[in-house]
Amino acid sequence: MKRLRIYLIVTGVAVLLVSGGFAVSEAAAGSRSKSDAAIWQNPSFQAENDACLACHSQADFSVQLESGEPLPLTIDPQAYAESTHGFNAVTCVTCHSDIEGFPHPERTAKSLREFRLDYYTVCQNCHEEQFNLTLDSVHQDALAAGNTDAAVCTDCHNPHTQKRLTNPETGKLLGYARLHIPQTCAQCHSAIYDQYKESVHGKALTEDGNLDVPTCTDCHGVHNISSPTTASFRNSIPFLCAECHTNNAIMQKYGLSTDVLNTYVADFHGTTVVLFDKTFPDQPTNKPVCTDCHGVHDIVRAEDPNKGLAVRENLLARCQVCHPGATANFPEAWMSHYIPSPEKYPLVYYVNLFYKFFIPAVLGPMLLLVVMDVSRAMINRYRKKTPPAESAGELSQPEPQEAPAPKRTEPISLSEENMPEEPLTEETPMPEAQEELPAEEPPSAESEAADDSKSSDSDKEETSHD
Amino acid sequence: MSGNVIPPLSSVRHERTFPRFTAAQRWEHALLLLSGFVLLLTGLPQKYRELSISQDLLSTPERVELIRQIHHIAAIVLALEALYHFGRILYLLSKRRLPGDLLPTWQDVRDAGHMLQYLLFLCNDKPKFGRYNFEQKVTYWFVFFGVLIMGVSGFIIWFPVFFTQFLPGGVVPAAKLAHSTEAVVIAIFILVWHVYHVHIERTNLSMFTGRLSEDEMRTFHEKEYERLTAGSVKVKPGAKK
Repeated sequence: MKRLRIYLIVTGVAVLLVSGGFAVSEAAAGSRSKSDAAIWQNPSFQAENDACLACHSQADFSVQLESGEPLPLTIDPQAYAESTHGFNAVTCVTCHSDIEGFPHPERTAKSLREFRLDYYTVCQNCHEEQFNLTLDSVHQDALAAGNTDAAVCTDCHNPHTQKRLTNPETGKLLGYARLHIPQTCAQCHSAIYDQYKESVHGKALTEDGNLDVPTCTDCHGVHNISSPTTASFRNSIPFLCAECHTNNAIMQKYGLSTDVLNTYVADFHGTTVVLFDKTFPDQPTNKPVCTDCHGVHDIVRAEDPNKGLAVRENLLARCQVCHPGATANFPEAWMSHYIPSPEKYPLVYYVNLFYKFFIPAVLGPMLLLVVMDVSRAMINRYRKKTPPAESAGELSQPEPQEAPAPKRTEPISLSEENMPEEPLTEETPMPEAQEELPAEEPPSAESEAADDSKSSDSDKEETSHD
Repeated sequence: MSGNVIPPLSSVRHERTFPRFTAAQRWEHALLLLSGFVLLLTGLPQKYRELSISQDLLSTPERVELIRQIHHIAAIVLALEALYHFGRILYLLSKRRLPGDLLPTWQDVRDAGHMLQYLLFLCNDKPKFGRYNFEQKVTYWFVFFGVLIMGVSGFIIWFPVFFTQFLPGGVVPAAKLAHSTEAVVIAIFILVWHVYHVHIERTNLSMFTGRLSEDEMRTFHEKEYERLTAGSVKVKPGAKK
């Protein structure tokens, strides 16, 4: 170790002196002509990095950690120069800020993992936004729970080689970045990657380089990756899939329907899930979401003979997961995202058609009749009022002209004497008439009827009609 | 009243009432009313889930389950009621004692035409009705077929696995559509037609009291009144027919 140190110091100083001169001339020659030229032309950047690279560009340069693992210390200057950090003239000591010279401060990390976990927090000095997002991620939760294998910044982004991932103007992922993401995640989630690369989405991405299909981060998010096993994630899945599957621009390329979401929401399964997503998204529901039938990372074409849901047997098998007794006809009960038409689900189509005509054709005239009935009754009442002698009580009687006014007085006056305090009862034949009667008269007319029916109730009880 | 001259000396006036619905029929109506009300109350939030009031009601799986259970219990009550009604019809039919008063006849069409003329001021008298007028027959048959459709479609969507053992799967979504649409049709019908005729046009509580007064009989069921009182039009008050 001691010999190594002396060697390092000597060569380091030598290289520093030589390369310092080179750096100035190289930068001045404009090998970097982009907007970062100002930084790049700063001779101190290159000089500083070259000082480090004097040692750290040696091949197979490493130190052994206490765990026995070698800590690789080699940096490929070419790769670093091509990385987004190198491109943006980030110096080594920007991140390795505790190193001010030689000898370097002593490291306490006992293992490679420990070393990385000690170091990754420096990312937040520049990438605060992304770093803060990771604090809400499932990886950070796992780390906090003691899983030291949980991914931190540098597990996905090698700081010495990471190329630019997003378009600086739009902020969107560049094509090659999308293509590369599954391999990044596969470093840990290899079993899922194996499923994904066989799925309709994964095959298109990994084999055909198709950028329309979702890569890991399209569904799971990037830095604040949330747990996919929570109820709220599950309830939101229909909308996740719908982001692409209701996008006509993408779907028409592949001849796929964009009605998948609204047909799902219109049916049993979807209504409940969407309801929960809206009200209490943390509520688990036993209703299926897209992935329960179509699969998650192993989604295949609907026509796939082995697992595709357009094949009746495959669909039945899916139905039976939740509906154990389901038989061959049962899958037809689910309209498979179709909108009913005379060809697809004619019965549903014609029931709908029937009600489309039945409701206006039957309820409409009924409403009209009622409205006409009300208006005729009101007009009758108005006409009645004009001749003052008429009794309003006769309003809705069939023959209003021949009002037997003189005869009426007799029973009314009679009953008034006898039972004036009789309460009103529901037997009253014409309720609207009540308000119209002169103040002294109504109790008599009604109590008459009420009393009469009461007294006769007892004699009539047995003549029930069947 | 207008036709009857009551002897001024009689201190107690007897007005005849006419039996209209038996106690059993009134119980049937009460059950129908109650179960139908509960079914609508628990069914409509399930149909209109996008409304905020429905979402308040159905916000947790337990509540969805509870609402569905109440709906199912009310459905069973109504189904038993309907079965009793059918059974009663078949029983009376077998004894040749089923009254035909509720069957639609051409006279009902003529009555409806007459009523339309009256409402359009083409004539000044309302038609004379028998025991049940066309409006009441429409009510009965509308609810009859409505309950039939609701019952059949309801049980299909309740037990889809069972019914698809011998019916094509397409009946399930069709039944769901029919169930949810017919429910609204019946609700509108009851509100517009039935509630108007028994509460607003006039308060007709014979379905609860079981009886109609002589006056109501004469005004609204003149033909039936004449038939019942044939030969004794000027009956003494209180006399039996």
